[in-house]
This record gives sequence, C-alpha cells and structure tokens, in this order.
Amino acid sequence: MKRSYLPLWILLAVAFAIIAAVSFLGPVNIMGYELKDSGLAKWLHGPDTLDANDLELIVEDIVEPEAQPVAVDTLPKTILFIGDSMLDGLYPRLAAYASHNGHKLYAVIWYSSTSEIWGRSGRLAGYIKRLSPDYVFICLGANELFVRDIATKRDKYVKTLIDEIGSIPYLWIGPPNWKPDTGINALIAKHAAKGNFFLSDGMTFERSKDGAHPTKASSSQWMDSIVRWMPAHSPHPIRLDLPDKATDRATRVFVHQPDER
Amino acid sequence: MIDTLSKYLQYSPDEPLLFSSGTFWALFLVFLPLYALLRDRKWQMISFVVAFSLYFYYKCSGFFVALLLVTSLFDWSLSRLMVRVKSQAEKRCCMVASLALSLGILAYFKYANFFLWNINALVDGNFQPLDLILPVGISFYTFQSVSYIVDVYKGRVAPTTTWLEYAFFLSFFPALVAGPIVRADYFLPQIAKVHHATRREIWFGLWLIMLGVVKKAIIADYIAQYNDLIFESPGAYSGFETLMGIIGYTMQIYCDFSGYSDMAIGIALIMGFRLAQNFNFPYKSQNLTDFWRRWHISLSTWLRDYVYIPLGGNRKGTARTYLNNFATMLIGGLWHGAAWRFVFWGAMHGAGLAIHKASKPYLGRLGDSWPVRTLSWIVTMSFVAALWVFFRADSATDAAILISQVFKDFDPAYAIPFASARMLWLILMLVIVGAHCLPARFWSKAGAWFVHTPWIVKLLMFVVLVQAVIELRSEDVTPFIYFQF
Repeated sequence: MKRSYLPLWILLAVAFAIIAAVSFLGPVNIMGYELKDSGLAKWLHGPDTLDANDLELIVEDIVEPEAQPVAVDTLPKTILFIGDSMLDGLYPRLAAYASHNGHKLYAVIWYSSTSEIWGRSGRLAGYIKRLSPDYVFICLGANELFVRDIATKRDKYVKTLIDEIGSIPYLWIGPPNWKPDTGINALIAKHAAKGNFFLSDGMTFERSKDGAHPTKASSSQWMDSIVRWMPAHSPHPIRLDLPDKATDRATRVFVHQPDER
Repeated sequence: MIDTLSKYLQYSPDEPLLFSSGTFWALFLVFLPLYALLRDRKWQMISFVVAFSLYFYYKCSGFFVALLLVTSLFDWSLSRLMVRVKSQAEKRCCMVASLALSLGILAYFKYANFFLWNINALVDGNFQPLDLILPVGISFYTFQSVSYIVDVYKGRVAPTTTWLEYAFFLSFFPALVAGPIVRADYFLPQIAKVHHATRREIWFGLWLIMLGVVKKAIIADYIAQYNDLIFESPGAYSGFETLMGIIGYTMQIYCDFSGYSDMAIGIALIMGFRLAQNFNFPYKSQNLTDFWRRWHISLSTWLRDYVYIPLGGNRKGTARTYLNNFATMLIGGLWHGAAWRFVFWGAMHGAGLAIHKASKPYLGRLGDSWPVRTLSWIVTMSFVAALWVFFRADSATDAAILISQVFKDFDPAYAIPFASARMLWLILMLVIVGAHCLPARFWSKAGAWFVHTPWIVKLLMFVVLVQAVIELRSEDVTPFIYFQF
C-alpha cells in the first residue's frame, strides 16, 4: 500500500476494531454511562430464538375471545397512552376517537423504549399519579422483539408495569412483528389479565421505509382494529364510536428521548 | 456467519449502502489498500474503481445496474461515432439518439405514472399505474450523461477513447447516487492525469467525511424524528410545534444533502479526485438569486448551462429572461420528483427569482444597512422554508394544512414545554444554526487544524464521532433524502 494511505487505513481499522470490541465485550460503562452497542456482535450471531418451554403459556391460549362481551362503559374517560415510537402512528387516531367520544387523551412517547426502560424508571406510576387516568393503553415490545432469553430478562419489568397500573382498566397493544419474536408477546400475554392484551402479531401492515413502523395509514387501521376488538374481548370496554376525523390532537403529548432515564 | 455475511453483501431494498453506514466503512477498509496498490497502474485502477462502483450501485439499486451499463455503453458508442461522422446533421442525430435514450429511460421510470395519473384525471380514464421502481440516483447520472454528450457535440470535451474511462466518469461511486453532479469537462481530465492524493488531501478528505457524518447521521437523522411527526400528521400539532417542525425540516434537508455531498467530496479527495463544491452556506443568502448560487450548486449550474442558456438566457430581452428563469426552475422542480407539488415548488422559486430580478433596481435604493440585510434574510428564508413544506409534505393539501396551522393555532406559550420536551432536538438545531453562521474561514482553519493534528487525536475524534452516531441513531435506517431523486 502507498505510504500516504497507510495512516488513514490504520486509523479506520483501529477505530473499527474499537467499535467491534465494545459490541463483543458487552455493555461498557464510562463514568456511569453505559455506551450503546453498535449491534455488530448481534448482527454476526443473527436473531435469537426463544425456547418455547421457558414460558408456561402460549399466546393463542391467552388471547382467545371472552365468552360473554361486557357492557360498554359510556362515561367520559381520562385515557393515558404510553409506549415507544409506535405511538407516533397510533395516538393521533386514538385522539380522534377520544375527542369524538368525549374522552381526554394523554400520550407519553418514549422513543426506543422497552418494558425494561419503563419498568426501571417508575415513570408509568408517576404519570398515573399525576394524571389520574381511568384507562391505560400501553404499546411496548417493538424494541425487544429479538432479545435473547427474554423470559428471564424482562419478566419482572412486564410484571412491574402491570403492577403499576394496579386496578385501572388497561389494554396492552402487542408490537407489530415484522419478524418472529423471541418471546415478548408470550411474556406480555403471560402477565396481562385475560382480554387485556391485543396480539398484533399476524396482522398485515403497510410498512414505512424503515421496514418496522407501520405507515400513518396502516397505524390508523391498526388502531381501528384494536377498537373493534375491544367490545368483544376487553373486560372493561369504553365508548369508542367511530370518529368523523381521521386524526386529532391529544390533550397533551409528553415526549421522552431515548437517552432519558 | 459466512451465510450472514454473503446475505449482507447482496442487494437488499431496505438496506441501501450509505456512506455513513458500518457496511460502507467495512467495504472501504477493503477497497482502500487495493486502490492504493493499483493507483499507479491507470487501467487496472480504472477497472477496479468501475467494478467497485458497479457493485456499490448494485447494493443501492439491485439489478438496475444493468441499466447504468446500457446507458454508458450507448452514450460512449454514440460519442465515438460523433467524432467520426463528418456532417453536423449526423452529429446532431448521434446526440439526439443518446439524449432520447437517457432522458427516455428517466422519463419512463420517473414520470410514466405521473403522466398516467394526469391523463386519468383529465379524461376520467382508468389507466392502471405501472409497477415501477425508481432506480436510485437515475436523475443524477442521467444529467451527467446529458452533459457529456452535449459537451462532446459542442466540441467542449473530446470523447473518452475507451468505454472504461466513460464508465469511470458515469459510475464514480462517491457521486453516483446523490451527486454532486459531475461535469465531463471538469472530471475527464482528472482521469487522464494520474494524480496521487497528498497526505494533506487524504486527511482533509477524512475531515470532510466526518463533517458529513455529523450533519447527516447525527443532526439530520435525529431532528428528522420530530419533523416526521409534524409532517405525517398535519393539523395534529399546535402552530408553534408545526413551525418548529418546518424550521426543523429546513435544517434537516440542508444537513442531509450537504452532509452527503461532504462525504462524497471527501471520499473522492482521498482517492485523488476533486468534485466541485455543492453547498456554500445557502441559508446565509439574503435573496433568492444568491440562494441558488449557494444551494445544490452542481444542479443549478447544470440547469444554467444546459437549460437556461440554450433557452436564450438573458440575451433575448427582459421578459424572455424572466420566462427562461421560470421555465428552468420548473424543470428543476420536476427533476426533484414527479408530482405537482414539486412543479409548484419549482414554479414558485422561478417566480421568486423573476420577481427578485425585476425588483433589483428598487431594492438597490434601500441601501445596505444591517436592518435591510436582516429583513432581506428573513424574507428569503421564510420563502425558502415555506416552499420546503411542499417539498416534504405528502400532498399539496397536507402542505397547505401545515402552513395554515402555523397562523391559525400559534401560541408562544408552547415554547417552554416544547423546549423541555425536545431539549436535544433544540440543542442540535442551535448547533447547526450556530455552525452555519460561522464564517467560511473558520471552517477552513478547522480543516487545516485537523490535517495537522496528531494521528492519535484524529483517531480519538473519529471513534467519538462513530460512538455518537450509535448513541443517537434511531431504530430506523434513514436513507439520504436525495436518494429518491
């Protein structure tokens, strides 16, 4: 190699080796801050799969329809909708339902969040205390579709979130799988009470260019499917008649960036 | 692992090869030593770079690489024929045939469905849209092909003696998919003359790549997350939030596109080739004419030389000058995309340029004091930013809703909660605005400082930059905005 190129090549190679090492060695902490992984090690290993025996329940058993639909609660509600970036597509449609039916909707979007991030933070309990919602929607799981040994790693956080909701009626919307997951859907199904988990896996979505997020139109259809599903399955369905508007503004939207803890 | 690797080296529509991606970095690590070894052997170097460029294009656009090969073979054959034939009419036939093929392919892939849509709307027809995928970067390399063939016809450049040289020019991977648009008269002499990149050029190339990565992978991709929310749900946010989204997109498109250009120029410089400057602090412009001298310079000069001047430029009277300006910008708008909102965007810029030219004598009387300069800048930037809304929105209706939302539902009380909820977005916006305001000589000095700084400092800066990209990246792969053109 020409000598003039050698220092540049060594620089690029050493930098690549450093970034690769961080990925292979696992989480690296610098002064208490955990560096994010480039994903190189995970990419080389390929996605992990779940050992089905780790989970006692399978999703199909959990999401089977309720035998007797419950009467719809027609009173105006304060709805809290929390979750990851999937809310970007979901909440404007739910906001249209909310304003049409006299409900208030508060949306809390925490980008790149997971059940672990929410579970560790105690933020859900904080929002419940602050906003006193009558109904909680959660959409989490899209960022943990491929977590290895998820049944062990995330079990307590999923349980923590459901415990934080307490006696408030809720619905956990499962992630819109674009590949088979390693067990997040089964894990949520295991902890959520019957009729409180909407399995999105198996639905067909029109994806945005990232391949993961449903498009705006598809997210609206997703929300419509959830609303149609609720009266027959949810133990506490609320009034969500079809709105005239396609989307609307929430009463307030709270946003948390990925680096917030 | 080998399976994963081989799968990754194949074309995947969801994972185009971006300069700011780890895949490109790994490939460049393989490319660089081979290129350095072959640099002295001209034909081996050219063959190697052409092969790499074609692979690069295959990774970005799959088997459309065949289309690039066909275009290059056809152009080159006709350019050779052009110098052999005697009469002007025969030469013209060669040029027309080449232009018909290049522009015909572009028209088919880019504008066929737009044409059918308009026919359907006009005659209430039922033509089904064609199942077409736009080859990545086709607008860029088609314009390069047009400039080459026109320049050969006009005798401004001699045709390349071999197809390989022409393929090198047309497929040169740093500029292939999103420019800058390389001109034959500027680039072909560089192929003929073997120039070894000096150590200074190599490090300055790395500096440009790093600047490009900061602009694209850190700033543009991060601020896009908020901007996308605003543009995907028009009317769902307050006027203040919508305004922030519009300003955000104004900076995002600059960082995205100029970041790509910086990386392209930097990679070319490392290889010993110079690409022309594509951006020159466009948001410092105090009028629209100045803006188009600073924004996407390779496109605006191309349009000037191959559309505006052939139409008559400013040689046929005032009214015709304005009309030529307008028509050129209309074509510029259509070049960006096959939709009426792009036509509108181009038409408004054309009208703005004509109005600015017409009012120049009156504006001159206002003097050059700082209030006049500030007001000129505000008017120019408001116009530019408002038109970017049409560029980004899904439809003209969405664009109109977004703009009206700013006026209908504006409440400055949103500023404090907005700042607390979007702190990092705001910081990055301030960083890019601040960086843009710094004088050009500051950036020249910073580049010179980087070139002379010790190797270990360069390594540290590079690693910190890469880790910053990893820390801030979204879950999505965000292609360059200009890939779609």
